[in-house]
Amino acid sequence: MHERSNYCVIEGISKLKKNRIVGYSLLLFFFLILLTGSVSAESKTINTEISASSTSGDGYQINNYVVQITFIRESRAIIDLYELKESGDSIKLDFTTFSDQVATYKVGEGTIVVKEVNTTTSKTLVEIIVTDITVEYQKYIDGGVDRAIYIGEPSLELSKEVDKTSANIGDTIRVTIKAINSGSGTAQRISIDPGFTPGFTFKSTIYSTYPTELPVGTSYTQMYIYEVEAAKGGTFTLSPAIATYSSSVFEDDYTAPSTRPTVTVAEEAIETSNLSFTISQDKTELKRNEKITFTINVENLKDVPASMIKITPIIPNNLTYHSGSEDIDMINEKPIIQKSIFGSRYEGEYKFTFKADKVGANILTVKLTYNNGVEDISQEVTSDMFYVERGKYDFMAEYPIYVYITPVIIIIAIAGWLHWRRSQFRM
Amino acid sequence: MLNVLMVGAGQCGNRILDAVNREAFGGGKFSKYYSRQKFPSRVETIAVNTAINDLKEMHYTKAKDRIHIPNLHGVGANRIVGKQCFIDNKDLIMRNISERGEFDVGFVITSTSGGTGSSFSPLLIKELKGKYDFPIYSVVVLPFREEGTIYLQNSAFCLKEMYDSGADGIILADNQFLKDVGGDIKSAYDGINNMVAERLLFLLEALDSEMMMVTDLGDFQTVMSGGAGFATIGFAKGDGSNTIRSVIHDSLSPSGLLFSSNVFEEGSRAMIIMRGDRKYMSIDDISSEIDKLASHIGHVFKGVIVRNGELPKVLSVLTLESTSELENLYALAVEAIQIEKDKRERMDIRKEADATFSMIEGLEPQY
Ligand SMILES: Nc1nc2c(ncn2[C@@H]2O[C@H](COP(=O)(O)OP(=O)(O)O)[C@@H](O)[C@H]2O)c(=O)[nH]1
Ligand SMILES: [Mg+2]
Repeated sequence: MHERSNYCVIEGISKLKKNRIVGYSLLLFFFLILLTGSVSAESKTINTEISASSTSGDGYQINNYVVQITFIRESRAIIDLYELKESGDSIKLDFTTFSDQVATYKVGEGTIVVKEVNTTTSKTLVEIIVTDITVEYQKYIDGGVDRAIYIGEPSLELSKEVDKTSANIGDTIRVTIKAINSGSGTAQRISIDPGFTPGFTFKSTIYSTYPTELPVGTSYTQMYIYEVEAAKGGTFTLSPAIATYSSSVFEDDYTAPSTRPTVTVAEEAIETSNLSFTISQDKTELKRNEKITFTINVENLKDVPASMIKITPIIPNNLTYHSGSEDIDMINEKPIIQKSIFGSRYEGEYKFTFKADKVGANILTVKLTYNNGVEDISQEVTSDMFYVERGKYDFMAEYPIYVYITPVIIIIAIAGWLHWRRSQFRM
Repeated sequence: MLNVLMVGAGQCGNRILDAVNREAFGGGKFSKYYSRQKFPSRVETIAVNTAINDLKEMHYTKAKDRIHIPNLHGVGANRIVGKQCFIDNKDLIMRNISERGEFDVGFVITSTSGGTGSSFSPLLIKELKGKYDFPIYSVVVLPFREEGTIYLQNSAFCLKEMYDSGADGIILADNQFLKDVGGDIKSAYDGINNMVAERLLFLLEALDSEMMMVTDLGDFQTVMSGGAGFATIGFAKGDGSNTIRSVIHDSLSPSGLLFSSNVFEEGSRAMIIMRGDRKYMSIDDISSEIDKLASHIGHVFKGVIVRNGELPKVLSVLTLESTSELENLYALAVEAIQIEKDKRERMDIRKEADATFSMIEGLEPQY
C-alpha cells in the first residue's frame, strides 16, 4: 500500500495525470452545463434481452451489480437489482423511485435505471442506464444473480528474467518481463516501466506491444523484452520493472515492481606481467673451502613490465656469500638484488658465488618477489642438492692450531735430532 | 768418577770399541738416537785405523772419535809397514788423546794378528806410558788358529812387544776359544765383541760404583799386577733359580771365560764382582765360593753391587801365572815362522832371488 501511494505521487504526473485532467475537464464542462439549466451526466445505456421462466431467470451483470429477471407468470416479470459482495453474498437493493416499469436505484455516487421495455413469454427486453459509474464489466449471466461473480481488485505480479546470470563485459543480456494477474479483477491501463539498470548499456527493445489490460489468469503473459550490454564488471541486482495499472471497479491506481534477477559480470582480465625464474649451478659436489656458483635467470614473459623486483637467496648454513653480479647489493650483510622495473620481455642473469664452509648436503632457495601490475607475486626456486665434502687440509681447520702444529714440531725436532745424531756418527 | 780412555786400534779393536759404545747406549740398533750412554765413568773412546772402511763401518762411535791414519797402500798384515806408519803419525794420535784431558786408567783394544792394530798398539802403549802415569791395560784378541801362518806369527811378535811395551796388564780374549758363539764369521765376531764389551762395561762399573763391599781401581791394579802379566775376564748370569755360588763358578768356567784357562791351577790373583738383587747375594754362599777359589790361587778381591730386582751377574778378573794355551800358540807361531821361512827359501832358490833380499832372511820375521 505504501508502495502504491508512492507511485501514485510520482507516476500520477505522467499518464494518470493526463486522464485526470481530461476527466476533471469533462466534469467541469458538465458542471457548467448543469449550471446553465440542462441536467447532463455521464451515462451509459445498455439494451439487452434477458431470458427467464416461471422457475428461473437470468441476469445481467454491470460491474458488481446484477439486474435479475424473475417471471411470476407468463409475460409478467419482476426486475430486481442486486449488489454482489466480496464475500460471495448478494443483497437486493431497494429502488428509490419506481414508476411505469422504470426503477431507479441510487448506488454509490451514481444511479442505475432499469426500464422494462417489453416482456415476452420467455424473455424480457430491458434498457439499463448507468450514470456516473464507469462500466468496467458487463456480462449476461446465465442462471441469474446466484451465478454472478464478484468483480474484485486486480493484482499484477511482474517477473523480470534474464537469459544469463553471468556474463563478460560486452555480452548481450536479454531481459524479459512477464506479468500475471493473480488478483480478482482485471488489471487495466497497464503501463510498464522496464527499469533499466546502471552498468548495462541499453541496446534495443525486442518487444513492447504488451496488452494494456490483463484479466485474472493462471499463466504469465509476456509483456516486454529488451536487450542490454554488460558494460562493467561486478555483481548487479537488476532494477525492477514497474507495472502501473488500475481498475474501474475500484477507483484506485496500482503499481507492481518486478522480481530482480542478479547478473554477475566478470571483471575484465587485466594484462599482467609474468616472470619466469630458474636457477642452475656449476657443480653438485665440492670440497670444503671450494666455491659454488649459482646462476639465476629471470625473464619477463609478458609485454607488461613488472615492478619492485627483489631476488633474495636464502643462504644455507654451510655456505658463505663470496661474490656475484654487479647488481647485487649487500643489505644486512646479505646479498640481494633489487630492481625497480623489469621491462617487457626483459631477461636478466645473476650469479651468486658462495664458499662452502661446512661439510654437508644442502640446497639453495632463492626467493623472487615482484608486482605484476595488479598484485604482488612471490615465488621460490630451489637448486639441486649439492654436497660439501671434507677438504684436503680440513683436519687442520677442524682442530686448533697446536693440535697439528705440535706433532709437526715434534716431528721436525725428532728429524733434527736424528739428523744431528746421525751426523755425529758418520764419517 | 773415573776418567777412562779406551782406544781401539785396527779393525778388531775398532769393532770391539763400537760394541762397547753400543752396549753403553743400551744395546738397541737405534739406541744411539734416543738414549744416553750409561757409562758410570767419563769414558773417552778413540778408534784408530789406517783402513777408512773399517772406521766407516762403526755405528755407535762418534765420528770425532775415529782417527784415520792415511797410508798410501794400507798396511796389509805387514807389521813393519804398520809400525812405520804409527811412528809417522803418532803425533796426530797423541795430540788427539792429550786434548781429551786427564785419565785415571786406559785400555787399548786390538787383535794381535792383523797389521794395523797389532803394530800400533804396543807402540801406542809405550808412548802413553812414557807420557802419562795412569795404568794402561791392553785387551788383545787372539786369532782363529786356522787363519794362517802370518796371523800366528804376527800374534807371537805382537804379544811379545805388548809385554815389553810397559802395559800394566794384557787381558786375553781368544777367537779360537770363543768361536762357538756364532754361526757365520760375521755373527761370531759380533758375538765375541759383545761378550768383550759387556765384560768391559761391567768392569768399569765395578771400579766406579758405590759397592757394598768395595773394589776400586787400586784393587784392580793390584790384581792385574800379579801373575805373568796376562789376564782374562770371566762372566756369568744367573737365571734366578741357581745359587750365587753356581753363578760365580760359571764365570770361572770355560763358558764364562774369554780365554782358555784352568783358573784354579793357572790363576794368580782374582777379583770377583757380583751384582744383582739383595736376595741373591747370600754372604755365606759368596764367602764359601770365594774362599774355595782363594785356597787355590792367591788373593781374591770381591765386590758386591746391590741392584733391586736384578738377576745376579758375576764378573771375574783373573791374572795368570802361566798359560798353557799361550804356550801352544807360541809353538804354532814358531812352526808358522819356520813354514814361512821355508816358503821364502824355496821361492828364493826357485827364483834365484837377488842377494840383498836373501841377506836379511833369518834376521827379521818373515812375511
Ligand atoms: N773377535 C773379533 N776378531 C776380529 C774381528 N775383526 C777381525 N778380527 C780378528 O782380527 C784378526 C785380523 O786383525 P784385524 O784387526 O782385522 O787387522 P787390522 O785391521 O790390520 O788391525 C783376525 O784374527 C780376525 O779373526 C772382530 O770384529 N772381532
Ligand atoms: Mg782386517
